[in-house]
Amino acid sequence: MGVNLTLITPELVVTGLAFVVMIISLLVPKDQKKGLAYLSVFGLITTLVILYLMIDVQGTLFNGMYVVDAFGSFLKMLVVLSSLMAIIMGVQYVEKFITGFVGEFCFLVLFATLGMMTLVSAGDFITLYVALELMTISFIILVGFGKRIFRATEAAIKYLLLSAFSSGVLLYGLTLVYGAAKTTNIDGIMEYIAQGETPPVLLLGIVFLISGFGFKVSAVPFHMWTPDVYEGAPTPVTALLSVASKGAAFGVFMRVFLKALPGNVELWMPVIIAITVLTILLGNFVAIPQKNIKRLLAFSGVAQAGYMLLGLVAFSTVGVSAALFYALMYVFCNMGAFGVVIAFSQAGGSDEIQDYNGLWKRSPFLAAVMLVSLLSLAGIPPLVGFVGKFQLFKAIMEQGYVWLVFVALGMSMVSVYYYLLVAKAMYLKDPKENTPIKVPMGMQITLLATMIITLFLGIYPTPLTNLATQVAKTFF
Amino acid sequence: MLVQYTIIGILFLGALAFGAFTIILSRLLQPHRPYPEKLETYECGIKTQGTAWVQFKTSYFLYALVFLVFDIETIFLYPWAVKFQSLGLFAIIEMFIFLIILIIGFWYAWKEGALEWR
Repeated sequence: MGVNLTLITPELVVTGLAFVVMIISLLVPKDQKKGLAYLSVFGLITTLVILYLMIDVQGTLFNGMYVVDAFGSFLKMLVVLSSLMAIIMGVQYVEKFITGFVGEFCFLVLFATLGMMTLVSAGDFITLYVALELMTISFIILVGFGKRIFRATEAAIKYLLLSAFSSGVLLYGLTLVYGAAKTTNIDGIMEYIAQGETPPVLLLGIVFLISGFGFKVSAVPFHMWTPDVYEGAPTPVTALLSVASKGAAFGVFMRVFLKALPGNVELWMPVIIAITVLTILLGNFVAIPQKNIKRLLAFSGVAQAGYMLLGLVAFSTVGVSAALFYALMYVFCNMGAFGVVIAFSQAGGSDEIQDYNGLWKRSPFLAAVMLVSLLSLAGIPPLVGFVGKFQLFKAIMEQGYVWLVFVALGMSMVSVYYYLLVAKAMYLKDPKENTPIKVPMGMQITLLATMIITLFLGIYPTPLTNLATQVAKTFF
Repeated sequence: MLVQYTIIGILFLGALAFGAFTIILSRLLQPHRPYPEKLETYECGIKTQGTAWVQFKTSYFLYALVFLVFDIETIFLYPWAVKFQSLGLFAIIEMFIFLIILIIGFWYAWKEGALEWR
């Protein structure tokens, strides 16, 4: 049995960690579970270090069902990093609003992380589907487990129904592709397609695959679940859902379409372009009238998913590397913004944007982090969001989609408007009360880190760009 | 490219037409003779009581889930038990890892009171 298990060390560490956390959480009393969060954080940092050391490792396991490569390792780092931040920022929130469930929060986040890590390494449709379900089921529980939080149950039911539906669509697509190619292996499908002739059933499968993955990355005709689920879920879970699950689903989207189906790119590219344009347009326009910060960030997330899809549209090394850069930078910006939302709601505030009035008087730090994150998401120059967007636009410009660059650029302008509405509320309006907001220590460090990284990578993006370019060479 | 998408369009239209066709055809062909007993809700042959919209305890669902744990365990253990000798040590270790994972899940359900009827 020549299975080289060292290739999946990070996955094994996370699996072990999740089970240890689960067992300890069964043994200790309900009110003493905070240590589990420290344990999880420590374990995830270890995983992150292992992943960083393993970035050049390549190999396949279980007859090609599991692929370890630079692309997978990069996205795994993204996922682990987001889970790490979600746990650090979420512990106090969970203790306050969902008392007694810190253990569940930690090990479910870890299981979701495991699912996402496996998802980006899937070399076979079977692995892909199992990983996707592990991720989705953990997230369904996480979305609904704060049942005393207003609307969490509603959000969970919606998420359950829609993800079941989207899994069904995806599975249908996988079946049809399998029916045409007679193999579930991604490399095998590529070889089949290289032979020429595309039967209609394969195209039907591809259309279903696009819809299925579209649900997971919340691209436009399939984005309906996003705002409701984001609004209803506990905020740390929303944060994780918005960055990690999107990043992982996006990774597998890229892997399937760039590895298995590049042979008939001229068939699926028009559909992807249409979805991308719709996503960017609708996400940005619908974000404008939002009154709730979580809904605003949900629609901004839809728009950002559209920008990430531009990397797939470019269909080149530059495009993929730009998309990977964007996905990682999106983690820091969005985690920063959601961190502020978490800290603010812990201090008794609601999620309504008008409650953020005069935030800078109550906590200059929170207001600054929020401002930097939002401006970065909008793509204002000294921040990392600008570099990310610039690279993406450059990549599609190289492929000759000038009109698409104009659409994306115009919509970025629109996005500045609604991001600045929040900034205006925070800085120009007067607060209803003047009590300063206390931010817990771990949260402060995380928020400071996201802010510094956002600034630093905006000024000096070369290390991350080089890494992303190196990783993107996996495909072409 | 357009030709191929046209084929898919035809498939969708065909699927739609098939559904509509069967519904309309059965409506056209069926004899329509309703009487009160026929229109009544069927409930195992007994007279119906109340509406179908009753609340039932979610505990049933929990029991079903816990049952599922053992169900899967049995399904997995059977082929392993049959081929046990030829599979060797590796399979034993694998099966024990599987069992441990299941048992932790069951332990969690027990500890959280999924087996208590409330």
